[in-house]
Amino acid sequence: MIEFNDVSLVYPNGHQGLKDVNVTIEDGEFVVIVGLSGAGKSTFIRSINRLVTPTAGELKVGGDNILDYKSKGLRDLRTKVGMIFQSYNLVKRNSVFRNVLAGRLGHTGTLRSVFNLFSKDDKALAYESLKRVNIDDKIYSRADQLSGGQQQRVSIARVLTQKPDYILADEPVASLDPPTSHQVMKYLRKVNKEDNITTIVNLHFIDMAMEYADRIIGMRSGEVVFDGPVSEVSEATFEEIYGRSIREDDLRGGAKDGEQDQ
Amino acid sequence: MANKINKPGLNDDVYAPMLSPWRAKAKISLVFFIILFFLWYSSRTTGVDFGDLIMGFTNMGQIIDKLFPINMDVLGPAFDRLIETIHMAIIASTFSTIIVIPVSLLAANNITQNWFIYNATRLIMNILRTIPDVVLAVIFVGIFGTGPIGGIVALFIFSLGILAKLISETVEAIDMQPIEAMRASGANTIQSIAYGVMPQVAPQFTSFALYVFEINIRASVVIGLVGAGGIGQLLMSQFSFNNYGAVMTIILVIFVVVVIIEYISTKIREAII
Repeated sequence: MIEFNDVSLVYPNGHQGLKDVNVTIEDGEFVVIVGLSGAGKSTFIRSINRLVTPTAGELKVGGDNILDYKSKGLRDLRTKVGMIFQSYNLVKRNSVFRNVLAGRLGHTGTLRSVFNLFSKDDKALAYESLKRVNIDDKIYSRADQLSGGQQQRVSIARVLTQKPDYILADEPVASLDPPTSHQVMKYLRKVNKEDNITTIVNLHFIDMAMEYADRIIGMRSGEVVFDGPVSEVSEATFEEIYGRSIREDDLRGGAKDGEQDQ
Repeated sequence: MANKINKPGLNDDVYAPMLSPWRAKAKISLVFFIILFFLWYSSRTTGVDFGDLIMGFTNMGQIIDKLFPINMDVLGPAFDRLIETIHMAIIASTFSTIIVIPVSLLAANNITQNWFIYNATRLIMNILRTIPDVVLAVIFVGIFGTGPIGGIVALFIFSLGILAKLISETVEAIDMQPIEAMRASGANTIQSIAYGVMPQVAPQFTSFALYVFEINIRASVVIGLVGAGGIGQLLMSQFSFNNYGAVMTIILVIFVVVVIIEYISTKIREAII
């Protein structure tokens, strides 16, 4: 369970990232955060693994207030919370397999990992994770030889290898074309259902949010302005969240229900 | 209103613009005259005379005469000392390549967030780099006595300065996104460096290590002249005995070996990058 209690965040330059946020996310939920760029979606997500630190309030992950965590506690928290980035953040010169194994670093001792002494179980887990996102045939390819969609699937495999309780995805499809975007979202959805991993995704495409989310949280200038199940969401809701009428570029479009695997 | 740039051309038959505006032209001319002045002033104060240069050429003829016939007796010792030179370069390059790993990370502002440590490391490395290799050799020969040990220490410090500069700049240019991903997955600093930084700098790192090895081969010949071991020391002693035939042999041996090593090293570096 993730609990935001009156969480605020003011950046050193005075910009208010979050403003009195009160949100509770139950285990196993698939939540999509929507809002314009600069609305605080990223800050919200990055607070949960403390890539940024809120300046006021209380933020509980699994019952513990994570705002008190120092280095060791922070690393333990981060091993439980996997993250997927807009630009995949793979080591481009390394093989796919090595990139996926990096997901085990938080669970592996420093000396063992520096000398590449991953256990057989870790390697098997990494391979299984690649299989789950259907990219096991690229295991020994260099990461930079893969297309954007393939790289994002590798980064999902990396997160799976981490065996997290929560997955945060910060604009995971913003750099992808429509069919690949749907593919990536489907994998995230599948992982969420199969492993019961709480998943929080930032999106600015409203059609994708509607298609994949259980629940939608709308943000505007650091505040939560909407929070409810998808069934309660209409176009008017988005117009309220965005503070303007819906435009063509708020929609991703593309394969609505197509079987676009591969 | 007419364009100002076109205006002078309106009265001419054909308007051709200047290659560069007169202001730029004046600047270039000024710089040229300043350089010419310094050239004249420096040669005046140092007493350099063009006549001396011509006189020197006749002396050169005498030296060349003395260099032949080459003395092949020295070939054996020359190779022995040359191997010592190569050993010195290998030891110094290896140690500096190992030590430079932590040093270059401390001197890279994307890895070392602590302002004081970053600047202190950079400052020390910058100071090291300002000391010429021969001066380092004189210092360490003074400390350790004549022979290869002083030379190795001098070469080590000399190459550490160069490598720290080159590699810390490479580290600063890496893609930080994978490191963010590793931090976000609970990896500690050393793990992030091993998995995020090292693979990204490995090719350049290897290339710079070989480059420094090349430099060390050449530098170790020079520092031998001040008694820091290796073939340079042999060259100096033969020179002081006026044994020019042997000097020629040594020069040829150095030339051949340096060319071979640089060729191999360059080929390897081309293959890596």
